[in-house]
Amino acid sequence: MLGEIVPVSENVHFIGAFDPKIRTFDIIMKTANGSSYNSYLVRGSKGVCVMDTVKKEFSDTFFRRLELLCEYDEILYIVLHHLEPDHSGALIELMQKAPKAKLIISGRAVMMLKGLIKTDIDFEVANTGKIISLGDKTIEFLSTPFLHWPDTMSSYLHEEKILFSGDVFGSHYYDERLFDDEVGDFSYAFKYYYDHIMRPFKQYVLQALKLYEKFEIEIIAPLHGPVLRSNPQFYIQEYSRWSSEAKFRKHAFNHKMISIFYMSSYDNTHKMAEKITEGADSIDGIVASMYDLASLEESNMIDLLEESDAVIVGSPTINGDAVKPAWDLLSCMAYLESNGKVGASFGSFGWTGEAPEMLHDRMRWLNFRLPVEPMKIKLIPTEEELYKCYLFGSEIAEISMGKMVEMEI
Amino acid sequence: MAVVYLKDDNIKVSVSNGKTIRQIAQRVGASMEFGCRVGDCATCVATVKEGMQYLSPKNEKEIKALEMLDGDTTNLRLMCQCSVQSGEGEIIISYSF
Repeated sequence: MLGEIVPVSENVHFIGAFDPKIRTFDIIMKTANGSSYNSYLVRGSKGVCVMDTVKKEFSDTFFRRLELLCEYDEILYIVLHHLEPDHSGALIELMQKAPKAKLIISGRAVMMLKGLIKTDIDFEVANTGKIISLGDKTIEFLSTPFLHWPDTMSSYLHEEKILFSGDVFGSHYYDERLFDDEVGDFSYAFKYYYDHIMRPFKQYVLQALKLYEKFEIEIIAPLHGPVLRSNPQFYIQEYSRWSSEAKFRKHAFNHKMISIFYMSSYDNTHKMAEKITEGADSIDGIVASMYDLASLEESNMIDLLEESDAVIVGSPTINGDAVKPAWDLLSCMAYLESNGKVGASFGSFGWTGEAPEMLHDRMRWLNFRLPVEPMKIKLIPTEEELYKCYLFGSEIAEISMGKMVEMEI
Repeated sequence: MAVVYLKDDNIKVSVSNGKTIRQIAQRVGASMEFGCRVGDCATCVATVKEGMQYLSPKNEKEIKALEMLDGDTTNLRLMCQCSVQSGEGEIIISYSF
């Protein structure tokens, strides 16, 4: 067990708080092992810098640890790498106690700070390359946005080779032994955190890793979970691999992949799906596949969506709505990047027929490219209508392969 | 009508004046990414490859948001803020990494 004073390196201490009881984080994440709100204190010859704070309910622990290490008038800087309330909860109280301290945030954090604090406070903006000095200690900032909010940034303490990575490399894993070489096996929590928090922002993860490359990193100090000191490169490589590996098929066969997801009550939407698949698959360079949503697990949906260059969703209309599995499928996009994927929707209907349009609208908000209008067919498709489905599939496939779309609005 | 070429989606759109690039992109289903949609977060920053002169001048919000980005921002615009201003000409926009 840790004492109150927790050194991370010679001049850096952990001043965060543990939350062993939390079981659901941010509504969407299960936290079987609890979590921690990590905060750090860096001491230099001329003063002190506080790296992030904690969730408000845990302020007492934070201030108790901090007071054991410094006087408030020694604090020259407070850095917030990320403004989410679990890291900014003690900010106002800290600024009141340390009036000399200068707050440092990213440019994108400015409007968020106003939204959170609801009052004017002084701050300084840090972009990549900004440096602050604590006398014999130098901290350099890196702009690493969208990991996982627009405001996120990282910093590097040169003299002790520590990367303060924000939420990047975090885990929801409570263990008071704190360091990765001393805590229990947290690998599931590390991957789970990546999958739920960082996976939708893979391109930004890769950009951040590129910025980190210029530093020799001996310790990674994230905002949640274990401090990574045994082999930081291992964790960096894991992030790199997970962020680069997405398109299995693309790497393996150099194909573009179109997935047609459907559900069918009376086989009509199924018949449409078959023709759309046939049409899409007829285009060189495309592999099109059909998936019945009636028996697809969520984890499979996520992987298939991620690998697909185009996603075509089919649903009959039941009581004026698309069927629940179709909505469940699209809700999986919360874990993924959608930019660049082509989307389309279709369905047979008997009475009102809203489902394809509703799915189309949903996909618009999910940032799919939607170059073709939804395809609707009243009840049983005729041969002629099935041919239209074939053309619908081949058109989407051609657009996925790079055909230019021209429109007038 | 001006033509907006959304390069990364390979979509060419003929548009009338006054529409923001966000309105155009969302109307045609381009894969451009948007955040706050009011010019604060700079999520929708994109490069204007050609035709900057056919877009509205940068407003105060846009200038402020672009200031917080690293590097040269000369050809960058916020897609939720800039709008098509000229009846003729081609605007080429790129928004991938």
